[in-house]
Amino acid sequence: MSYELITLLMFSSLMVMLLTGQRVFGAIGFVAALAALLLWGDRNIEMPFNATFQVLNWYPLLTLPLFIFMGYMMSESGIANDLYRMFHVWMGRVRGGLALGTIGLMVIISAMNGLSVAGMAIGASVALPELLRRGYDKVMVTGVIQAGSSLGILIPPSVVLVLYAMIARQPVLQLWLAGVVPGLIMAAFFAIYIYIRCRRHPELGPPLPEEELAEVTWGEKIRLLRAGIIPFLIFGTMMGLFLSGITSLVESSAVGATGAIIAAALKRRLTFRVIEDTTRQTLAISCMFLFIILAALCFGAVYDGLGAKNAIRTLLLETWDLSPWEILIMMMVSFVVLGMFLDDTAMLVIVAPLYIPLVIGLGFNPIWFGILYVITCQIAYITPPFGYNLFLMRAMAPPEITLVDIYRSIVPFVGIMILTIIIVMAFPQLTLWLPNWYFGR
Amino acid sequence: MPKAARVYVRYVEAVNRVVGRIVMYLIFVMIGVMLYASFSRTVIGMPLNWAMEMGQFLLAAYYLLGGGYSLQINAHVRMDLLYGRLSPRKMAFTDTLTAFCLIFYLSTLLIGGISSTEYAITYKQVNYTSWAPLLWPIKSIMTFGIFLMLLQAIAIFFKDLARVRGEEIA
Repeated sequence: MSYELITLLMFSSLMVMLLTGQRVFGAIGFVAALAALLLWGDRNIEMPFNATFQVLNWYPLLTLPLFIFMGYMMSESGIANDLYRMFHVWMGRVRGGLALGTIGLMVIISAMNGLSVAGMAIGASVALPELLRRGYDKVMVTGVIQAGSSLGILIPPSVVLVLYAMIARQPVLQLWLAGVVPGLIMAAFFAIYIYIRCRRHPELGPPLPEEELAEVTWGEKIRLLRAGIIPFLIFGTMMGLFLSGITSLVESSAVGATGAIIAAALKRRLTFRVIEDTTRQTLAISCMFLFIILAALCFGAVYDGLGAKNAIRTLLLETWDLSPWEILIMMMVSFVVLGMFLDDTAMLVIVAPLYIPLVIGLGFNPIWFGILYVITCQIAYITPPFGYNLFLMRAMAPPEITLVDIYRSIVPFVGIMILTIIIVMAFPQLTLWLPNWYFGR
Repeated sequence: MPKAARVYVRYVEAVNRVVGRIVMYLIFVMIGVMLYASFSRTVIGMPLNWAMEMGQFLLAAYYLLGGGYSLQINAHVRMDLLYGRLSPRKMAFTDTLTAFCLIFYLSTLLIGGISSTEYAITYKQVNYTSWAPLLWPIKSIMTFGIFLMLLQAIAIFFKDLARVRGEEIA
């Protein structure tokens, strides 16, 4: 069988299986196991299990449950409510101020969890009801929360970047540092967009009434600032120990998780119920991601074993004769298209091993490419039909927010993300400046 | 549904629930091992050569033993472009059709796990590290976790089948 035919068969059967609505890991694992048997023969019935052993050797993957736990503990601890109140009081006077404050909240939450789930949980349970009660436009705020929480995978600590680091064999620390500036730029774009929209259409984000603001004394305003101390301490301790090399990556994530437990205990929220809920949710999300990684590794191993790496190189460089930049843009487009149908974790595990050697061979920086990849992931998180934040939003949104609202809400934010990708592509130094500065000292 | 299927579902779900709710607390053991490792290295000045592998083993036990429970509480995402528009009964119907995919994948995992564990026991396989732990204990745990998942996947198949026939088995 020719290589092209196998590619076509494997990916089209994968698409069909995914469309049936079977669990994503089951669909990928089935196609992978079947292909292993058919293409490689009976002896390869062990291929799926061997992939689990490969996962066992990916030591940094331990950060996945630990950061998920940290994020959930943080959202249960009530720190988010205090933070929200802080932004509420300080930003209330501005038009659209609460939406701007929500972006600020999401940036802080992103610095304390490695995925977007905790940000979504906090956004939908703390910020969303309050924003709706204040008469904010429901489409705008739904978009704010989905886009804002997606910053969780770009701003350190990021689990997606840990996974990329393992696959691309690049240092995690450099990738994390590289994500900081683009993450803040994107957050700033979100804020500018909200500010301009609310200037032109004040009804989208009304300021707080004067009498409510007058009730808040300066003493209270200052007291509320303390809400920012705990997150700052946790992030500072965790990153400080990691940056100075005292603790390893995984140990730092354990420090962060412990910090979140202590914070919850200090806020007197550490009940047995909270512990049980966070622990169970952590297991559920960790299992979901790990089984997708497992199945995708098997798929990737079967596919790559056929010589996919060379075939893609030949196709792009010789058959189509593309320039390096055209290839890079093709890769980005393929991420966006695949990301619509495939879970982005699976996409990373299957596609990245094929692309990264090519990217390095073309003279591009793999750290910079990682950041570009994460931003396409963010787009994939919020765009239908397959997006994690969309799933979560549908599950958690109050009934007055319809599916159409959720889909409409993301349009401007996808535009901003694409703009950020273009800027990061055009100016690689935005990404590389911070890691270069840190390692060049 | 026949009584045997109901009894099977009840027992398998109970076992997976108990196992899952115990192993979910392994997260605290992972945190503990990591904190102890960094404490021992930086404060006492004695690096632990087993901490990293212990962390890996704990993670493997965590998600593979917890896998059955994760299936039970429906923690796994699906592509719901078409599926999401179906009624609960039609969802159950398509699931009975595609259940064999999940069962097939888990079966290949199980076969691979058993043969890998057999190999580890026969040849007393160890990790090539300074700690050099025997690998059969962790391989047995992993294989047992996959076995529990397979049992749960079959239980879910029975539940879906019952739902298609207009019954509910808890």
